Amino acid sequence: MRAFVAILRREFFAYFFSPLAWVVLTAFLLINGVLFNGILQALNQPETPRTAFLSLFFNNVFYWIFMMLVSSVIAMRLLSEERKSGSIETLLTAPVTEVTVVAAKFVAGWAFFLFLWLPTVLYPVMLSSHGKLDAGPVAGGYLGIALIGALFISAGTLASALTKNQIVAAVTGFGFIICVFFIGVFKEFVTDPSLREALAYLNLLEHMDDFSRGIIDTRRLVYVASTVVFFLFLSSKALEANKGR
Amino acid sequence: MLEVQGLSKSFFGTPAVEDVSFQVGSGEILGFLGPNGAGKTTTMRMITGFLPPTAGTVTLDGIDISEHAIEAKRQLGYLPESLALYPEMRVREYVRFRAELCGVPRRDAAARTREALATCFVDDVADRPISNLSKGYRQRVGLAGALVHRPKVLVLDEPTVGLDPRQIMKVRELIRNLRKDHTILLSTHILPEVELVCDRVLIIDRGRIVASGTPETLRQEMAQTPGLTVALKGELTDADSVIRQLPGVVRAARIGAGGETRVVLETVQGADVREAIFREVVARSWTLLEMTPRQASLEDIFVRLVSAENRPGAEAEGEHPPAVEAAGQPGSEAHRA
Repeated sequence: MRAFVAILRREFFAYFFSPLAWVVLTAFLLINGVLFNGILQALNQPETPRTAFLSLFFNNVFYWIFMMLVSSVIAMRLLSEERKSGSIETLLTAPVTEVTVVAAKFVAGWAFFLFLWLPTVLYPVMLSSHGKLDAGPVAGGYLGIALIGALFISAGTLASALTKNQIVAAVTGFGFIICVFFIGVFKEFVTDPSLREALAYLNLLEHMDDFSRGIIDTRRLVYVASTVVFFLFLSSKALEANKGR
Repeated sequence: MLEVQGLSKSFFGTPAVEDVSFQVGSGEILGFLGPNGAGKTTTMRMITGFLPPTAGTVTLDGIDISEHAIEAKRQLGYLPESLALYPEMRVREYVRFRAELCGVPRRDAAARTREALATCFVDDVADRPISNLSKGYRQRVGLAGALVHRPKVLVLDEPTVGLDPRQIMKVRELIRNLRKDHTILLSTHILPEVELVCDRVLIIDRGRIVASGTPETLRQEMAQTPGLTVALKGELTDADSVIRQLPGVVRAARIGAGGETRVVLETVQGADVREAIFREVVARSWTLLEMTPRQASLEDIFVRLVSAENRPGAEAEGEHPPAVEAAGQPGSEAHRA
């Protein structure tokens, strides 16, 4: 546990020493700011339907592509950087298991992902000063984001465990994330009702839609948690298999 | 303390290390000597649990590393050859990170870190980022990180490679000082290092142990033909033939250069020809400038062992290549010491 915390701390703070992290942070805030602004403008038009504010925010293509990109960039360095530099040798000859290393690194990447979202808390705060804001959907929205972040970062962690090259890790990770995302979208292409329903549970668009309405469905929690565990398990196996190379 | 039994490793069917066995006792420094690519790093990676061996066992303080990896690794401090630190961290931060990684309790971590920094003489740079440090400092920071959790066994892979002579001296002195608290296995391809630092030597070539023993016993067992170098004043064209006629001299060759003549000669085992040479020189009223006995250096032994292995057919079928027999049962040597 001490080792877990030590790796997690080191990994998280290492982000702030890389220029990439600041670029991501800046781009993130810029894009989210533009989105927020656009949505506010749209809501000010009388013909816009009065749906929940956050569901507008989360359910557009722009947002999703950006999320996928950011996650793969955050996760790309987690394991490949240390494998490239050789510092993984120190880590794996210390009395810790591969699972601990992978889990700590995943949590660090996830924490950085959540950190990116921290400044956006200002938006609902700003809005609530101008009118009454429903706290449920806001909290639900952030929970949904946190879960999707976990899903994407864990897929990226696996990609990072597979290669020493960070760019390759980012591209592979992006591929994995797209797969995770599109599994659910396939529901539109099948006619079998039970399969349709099953795929709907994997559909991240519906997932985000639910959460941004403040609906917390435990099935979605279970889906995310088990997928994350699955990816992390594969990552630790990949790390173990590639140890000496 | 550290026991290695029949350790072998193949990469895709190509053997890199074959049947390596040895022991390192408590408080001993064992030097692991071999040319580049002999399998030193591979062996060390297996000992530290970084590489799973194809066959054989590694026991650290009675704990099998493949069966109880976590417990065994607690007893182990490792300085890899490709030392990679985290450049963005400060020295103290890094060593403390290593302490926490190895499960040093939080309340002891600060004190242990201070202690390790002082032991490795890096306390003067404790608050500098690692990226600003010279190679010598980094090496010592790596060493501090390897011993901060007070491991019983230290495995150091080429600890002095890439350092300048002064730093090399410092690191060697440091390693010698560490022997009172740790059992040390050290690899190197630099021969004098072994003579200066180690209690016992293991010579490895092409993945096999070809000789083992203390530097002295190795030198005695493997001693080359004894010989002398004599330097005389003047251009003495017949100096070599004169010396060749002395009893006990097997061979003599003259190297004439300017106002000085050098004769390099080999003698039969056990013969002392120095007095005879002196009398001969006096009788001919030459001037003797220098007379140096040639001692078999570890370097000679090393070169002979390694080149013996290179003989064609040496690595063919047979279980024991000639060099292994010449070395005289490496296993028994390991147990004797």
